[in-house]
Amino acid sequence: MYDLSEEDLQKIPAILQGLGYEVIAPLKFNQAVKLAPINADSKIELDYIRLMNSPRDFLLPNRETLFKYRSTATITSYGLKIRFPTVEGPCPAGISPEYSSQKKKLAFFGIHPCIANSIRYLDRVMLSDPPDPYYSDRRKDMFLAVLECDEGDEYCLCKTLGSYKVAKGYADILMRKSGNRYIAKPMTPLGETVLKQVGKEISGDYPKIVPRMKKEYEITNADESSIDSKDASETVKSCTLCCACTVTCPTCYCNDIEDRFSLVDPSNVERARTRMSCQRRCYSMIAGGTTFLKSKEDRFKWRLKHKFPFSINSFRLVGCVGCGSCIANCPARIDFRDHIARSVD
Amino acid sequence: MSLTNPYLPRQVTVNAVKNESLETKTLRLKLQNWSMSFVPGQFVQLLLPGVGEAPFCIASSPSDQRHIEITIMRRGMLTNAAHYLRPGDALGVRGPLGRPFPIDQFEGKDLLIIATGIGIAALKSLIEHVVGNRSKYGEVTLLYGARFPEDLVYREDMKHWSSSIKIIVTLSKATPEWQGLRGRVTDHLHEINLKDDMNIAICGSPTVMASIVQSLSLLGINKERIFVSLERHMKCGIGKCARCLIAGGKMVCKDGPVFKASEISLEAIGE
Repeated sequence: MYDLSEEDLQKIPAILQGLGYEVIAPLKFNQAVKLAPINADSKIELDYIRLMNSPRDFLLPNRETLFKYRSTATITSYGLKIRFPTVEGPCPAGISPEYSSQKKKLAFFGIHPCIANSIRYLDRVMLSDPPDPYYSDRRKDMFLAVLECDEGDEYCLCKTLGSYKVAKGYADILMRKSGNRYIAKPMTPLGETVLKQVGKEISGDYPKIVPRMKKEYEITNADESSIDSKDASETVKSCTLCCACTVTCPTCYCNDIEDRFSLVDPSNVERARTRMSCQRRCYSMIAGGTTFLKSKEDRFKWRLKHKFPFSINSFRLVGCVGCGSCIANCPARIDFRDHIARSVD
Repeated sequence: MSLTNPYLPRQVTVNAVKNESLETKTLRLKLQNWSMSFVPGQFVQLLLPGVGEAPFCIASSPSDQRHIEITIMRRGMLTNAAHYLRPGDALGVRGPLGRPFPIDQFEGKDLLIIATGIGIAALKSLIEHVVGNRSKYGEVTLLYGARFPEDLVYREDMKHWSSSIKIIVTLSKATPEWQGLRGRVTDHLHEINLKDDMNIAICGSPTVMASIVQSLSLLGINKERIFVSLERHMKCGIGKCARCLIAGGKMVCKDGPVFKASEISLEAIGE
């Protein structure tokens, strides 16, 4: 175990940068705290409860180019409809597998345990057979410095879901505030090397503390039939379909793959992966306009079913890490805990 | 990177285009310097350069590994663009993907194939396989329902198939001059000699499939022997985009598109 002052802690990112990492840490932008790549003079915010974004935005970035190719599809004068008679030459054969390995390894500094556990869920999804090459390339050699919390706010659910503890292998350094100073515990040899340079080794055990919650819940009805059978029409009445719940969720990974090209030069096509939200109608639409998730209520329940029963079935892992982002960021204050959980006092 | 990229398509060229009906065309695609071994029921992701990618069931016999056929009904942006294709055009294909029909399990037993509308495209590969290996199967019946006589596809293939399998065609919106059967496929299930050990393969629109499965189970058919081929707009085809999740948490691209009716709920089959 190591003892560090806040100044010592702020030196860790520079050390990681020296080791060839691109360090991503919580920074304050106006009133919000969000993860962003740091530079020499950025001040890392360590006293925060909730982030606006999550590591998912770096591991599975929105609008990511999978590959590029040349085509000779033309655009007709009538609207932007693409007419397709003039494809010549080696179209898909000209595809260049344009994903060179990323120049720098990623390091996340100062994320909370729930967010670190969200990476575990993304790993289960993206690295299951066959692994996603783009994700696994970014994921390789990642460094995680996890800052444990003492206290959650009224939206936090990590105590209920057990995600206040970092899963094994998802932290290189565990840190926690202790009075005015910080204590840190290395979890890997690399974490030990980094901590040796800044901190003073002290004896004692790293404390195991369960964070205090403002409200406590227990998950009661998270199986498929009870999510389906309970009426949610009143809950979703005020939903504005802004998709903030899925945009800020650290484990939402649903995506769309589409061809994009500039109207000036339509021959250069980019095959891009963008994020898709299950709260949108087009998420479940198939050819001919058949839509499987028709109402707001269906889609609200779908999100819960994907996070709870479906994830447990396919990945043996709950898809919700209890960060509370979807509740805190909802402009209509829709709280999914009303549907599947019960408050305990 | 040593990993092979599952998102990269391989090149095919359009060999022939055949008009099947007013809204439907069959594309015969030649695989450029590669071959594909697939089992009936599997699908491919077809890339139209500049338009996008969509999943289509392979509608040709698995014995020809150098060519595949895909039947496309004009419905959305990509299928509209596909109708402009001409022989010689270059396309991309990823596949074969998905879990096929258990054709080994079908051998030696009677088989009932129920198709409605363009759903027959997903079953054509199975029919071709059965016709090609006729001696391995018991009595084989194709029950094919459509709305108008103009919607019937594979007319020439049917003539060829009718010598080895029994074909029943029914139209739900038959015109006055139509000589054959009228009504929905569910109205004609009783005309078929349903047996306990018979296997049933179904593909059609979601609502129709759900009602067929329901009627069959009312007639006492074990759901273990009913196989449905589902449709979702899959984007990745390898279980990473979660666009094809169905009730029960199964993915159509990896766990399907062919499911046993006992594995999934009626809700997952229907709309």
